[in-house]
Amino acid sequence: MAVGAFVAAALAVASPAFAEPFNLQAAIDSAQPGAVIHVPAGTYHGTILISQPVELVAEPGVVIEGGGQGDVVRIEAADVTIRGLTIRGTGKSLDRENAGITVLAPRVLIEDNVFEDVLFGVYLKKAPGSIIRGNRIGGKDLPVPRRGDGIRLWYSPGSVIEHNTVRNSRDVVIWFSHNVTLRDNTVTDGRYGLHFMYCDDTVLIGNHLEGNSVGAFLMYSRRLVIEGNRFLRNRGPSGYGVGLKEIDGVQAQDNLFAGNRVGIYFDNSPASVDVTQLFTNNAVAYNDIGLAFMPSVKRNIFIDNNFLENVEQVAVLGSGQLKGNQFTVDGRGNFWSDYTGFDLTADGIGDTSYLARSLFENLMDREPKLRLFLFSPVQQAVELAAKAVPTFRPPTKITDTAPRMTAVSIPTEVGDAAPGWPTAITALGLLLSATALLMCGMTGTLTRPSSAVELTPVRDKKNTDPADHPAKPLLVASDITKRFGRLTAVKKLNLDLHPGEAVALWGRNGAGKTTAIRCMLGLVRCKGSVALSGFDIRRRPKDAKRCVGYVPQELAFYDDWRATELLSFFAKIKRVGGGRVSAVFAEVGLTEHATKRVGELSGGMKQRLALAAALLADPPILMLDELTANLDAAARDSFLKLLCDQRDRGKAILFTSHRLREVEALADRVLVMERGEVVTTCGPRQLAQAIGLRTGLRLWIDPDRLDDAVKQLQLDGFEADRNGQTVHVKVRPDEKGKPLAALASAGIGVRDFEVDSSDANSPAQRPGPGGTR
Amino acid sequence: MSLRTIFIIARKELRDALRNRWFLLYTAAFSILALAMSYLSLAGSGMQGLAGFGRTTAGLVNLVILLVPLMGLSIAAPSLAGEQERGTLAYLLAQPITRFEALIGKYLGLSASLTAALAIGFGICGLSIAANGDAAGVGVYLTLVAMTFALGLAMLSVGMLISTLTRKAAQAIGMAIVVWLCLTLLSDLALMGSALAFKLRIQELFSLALVNPLQVFKMAVLHSMNAGLDVLGPAGIYANQTYGPWLSLLFVGSILAWIVVPLVLAALTFSRKPIA
Repeated sequence: MAVGAFVAAALAVASPAFAEPFNLQAAIDSAQPGAVIHVPAGTYHGTILISQPVELVAEPGVVIEGGGQGDVVRIEAADVTIRGLTIRGTGKSLDRENAGITVLAPRVLIEDNVFEDVLFGVYLKKAPGSIIRGNRIGGKDLPVPRRGDGIRLWYSPGSVIEHNTVRNSRDVVIWFSHNVTLRDNTVTDGRYGLHFMYCDDTVLIGNHLEGNSVGAFLMYSRRLVIEGNRFLRNRGPSGYGVGLKEIDGVQAQDNLFAGNRVGIYFDNSPASVDVTQLFTNNAVAYNDIGLAFMPSVKRNIFIDNNFLENVEQVAVLGSGQLKGNQFTVDGRGNFWSDYTGFDLTADGIGDTSYLARSLFENLMDREPKLRLFLFSPVQQAVELAAKAVPTFRPPTKITDTAPRMTAVSIPTEVGDAAPGWPTAITALGLLLSATALLMCGMTGTLTRPSSAVELTPVRDKKNTDPADHPAKPLLVASDITKRFGRLTAVKKLNLDLHPGEAVALWGRNGAGKTTAIRCMLGLVRCKGSVALSGFDIRRRPKDAKRCVGYVPQELAFYDDWRATELLSFFAKIKRVGGGRVSAVFAEVGLTEHATKRVGELSGGMKQRLALAAALLADPPILMLDELTANLDAAARDSFLKLLCDQRDRGKAILFTSHRLREVEALADRVLVMERGEVVTTCGPRQLAQAIGLRTGLRLWIDPDRLDDAVKQLQLDGFEADRNGQTVHVKVRPDEKGKPLAALASAGIGVRDFEVDSSDANSPAQRPGPGGTR
Repeated sequence: MSLRTIFIIARKELRDALRNRWFLLYTAAFSILALAMSYLSLAGSGMQGLAGFGRTTAGLVNLVILLVPLMGLSIAAPSLAGEQERGTLAYLLAQPITRFEALIGKYLGLSASLTAALAIGFGICGLSIAANGDAAGVGVYLTLVAMTFALGLAMLSVGMLISTLTRKAAQAIGMAIVVWLCLTLLSDLALMGSALAFKLRIQELFSLALVNPLQVFKMAVLHSMNAGLDVLGPAGIYANQTYGPWLSLLFVGSILAWIVVPLVLAALTFSRKPIA
């Protein structure tokens, strides 16, 4: 042995640069059993075959390259030690199980090696009593089914696998090997972090299995100890943290099962009737399902575990009821984060039992596709239905009669919490942005008229002065027709409106006046065409409406706004400078009410406010719908005077009305509408006659001449009759003197007379459609 | 179309919203509930460094699913219909402003107010989460906030469409509540029922779920929290495998469609609506 070591050392010293390159295979082959071969830095090519019980100790920088063919190292002798090599580039054959190191003999120690680009990492075939320690194994970059196993044990009982790191391999497989110890290994991003079959008395301690398809799948073995391991985020199609199939006698404690699809899966475990399994001090957290049982599973005991925030704490897969597992022993239960009970006795144990019972969970367990509806309101709806209707109530899956009020302290911290400051900054940012938005809405130019936009007068002086272009109308409506279903609201309305001209639409309620105005403003679609200052209302609605000031029939404003805010708002829409707001307030005489809320203004003031808004952009056309509807007599007069001023200044005014006095005071022309049609066009003075309007006169005459008077009046063509001690006669409103004169010329004296106030001048009181001429 | 006019209308709408009681009420309700949820979520987790999607974290998603559509629909639905009922809409439209400008302006104003309300709620609960160390990380929080905003905008769009189809505020609110019920509960119940009754295949189930913006919201948030949809069982795994990295895009696209399509329909309806 000493000789061998000496030879090896001599070879190692002699090898660099000038000497012949170090021949590793030859060195091994020629070494004495038990020799220590110090392998100098350099790249060696495999397959290296070790058929002597030697110890290979690599200097830093030793690489054994398989070149993508076969195994890299094969060990056929017992008691071989390999330490500190980098082993790289196996073949890709799953059939031949190409491995970084294949071991075919017992008691081998493989320590602190690095495996790169290997199909299988370390493969122990019938190598009992071996130790695999501190290796780093990285698999080939292949799809998972074509990868090999990072570590594989086959009939190698009594082996120890510890402190290894396996990543990107398929499985870590331990088959037909009893008494194996797996300690502090890390397996990530593979298929089965650990796969056991027929491995009795095996110990798993402190392993970290993360991001695999399944953490550990343990089958057909007895007496397993699982302690202090972490099974994290194993989320393949089955996604078990730990799956137990036909296992007899697990003792599991201080483990963490978190973020897996299923924390622990039980299938016929324990398998034997005389075996009981115990789970204590484990944390099962944030899994989709905490514990999943096949219905027939019995004899598992859970005490002092934490079940935290699993979407479904316990699931029973398939039909059948779970029986014979215990969640409470001698008054010790588990902590359930969804336990809603209370602890009046303050003994740390909830006073009511924890029941895992949920209709939606039952549905999900039976029809997994319904998991799609998790976290939807429909989930709560189903649970509510189950609570409300006893027939829907699902069976209880498990009961813990002594649920803990506080979690068990388990040394299973996964890592430090992420720093809170990015979230804090984001949250502050959100609050600030919200505040900025709110400030923008609360304050600003709505209350303070902007002076940035100057008045852009739409009025064209040449157009608005009737003397200059009397022939060019500002408003041209041609053949406006509007139907609402079978009702024709407006029929073939034609209208030209010239500057300085006021036209009235006259008619009773429902005659179509308001609809006509709405057609002209584009508020309702109609046949025919409307042009305002030459702009078609449909094709250029904005330009057209810019030429109009509109005062609606019902003054609907935003009542909680102040008058000045309202005008500032419309000034902005009309793109008029803020200076106009105070100007129009003065124009309509509302300056002192400017800061009042709109709701506080009287009807007359609102009407004037509406006119002020209409005048903001100094438009050439004004449209007013029932312009004095809300006004008393005095207000009406002053309002009419305002409008007359506007007309005299060259504005074209279109208004609807059913008050004769308004029409007479303001209109140059009157269009009499009836059932949507213009039946007459006339001057305001002829209106009364045109529509056959009559004023009633009551005459007081000497009682003995009453009949003579009636006769005489009828003779002169008046509509007259006797009414008690008076004579009642109907006349045209502009001919009230005529019957008096007629009676006087007949020598009948009239003592007194009055205009019959009940006979108002509204078209509603007209004799009827037939009276229209 | 003038952006200026739209901005003026939006501003007016925002202002009106702030003077309205609903804003205060909704903001308060959302903030308090979100705060309670985040507190419960933290109290339940008890373990550091575990970023999982637990039952109570799901509560926040559930809260959004129930409350945000209600907020969006009930704010937007009466906006045009109510103004039409009061007569202010006719007056507004008689001004030099197109209907499209009025609609978009109102939509933007309502969006600003709703977003502000949600931002306050999320801001407060975000501070509470941050104070305890944010296990899930700022990315998840941002996704939740952004998707909630998007969901709010989508619901406002639907609300605007309702508003253009109705003439009275009460009618609009009624319709909004019906739509809310349909989106939150009835459509899912129907889908669940038909999944069982007609043995829907999972791809059909998933495709149908993609139509419901609330499901899309839920899936998008789950997706960002878990880097996958497998928590939703076979349909989720199917989605992961079929769409992979495109899944987020699919969700964003679906929500965007729910923002754009109803708004376009609303604009079309509104352009033909007689305003009395």
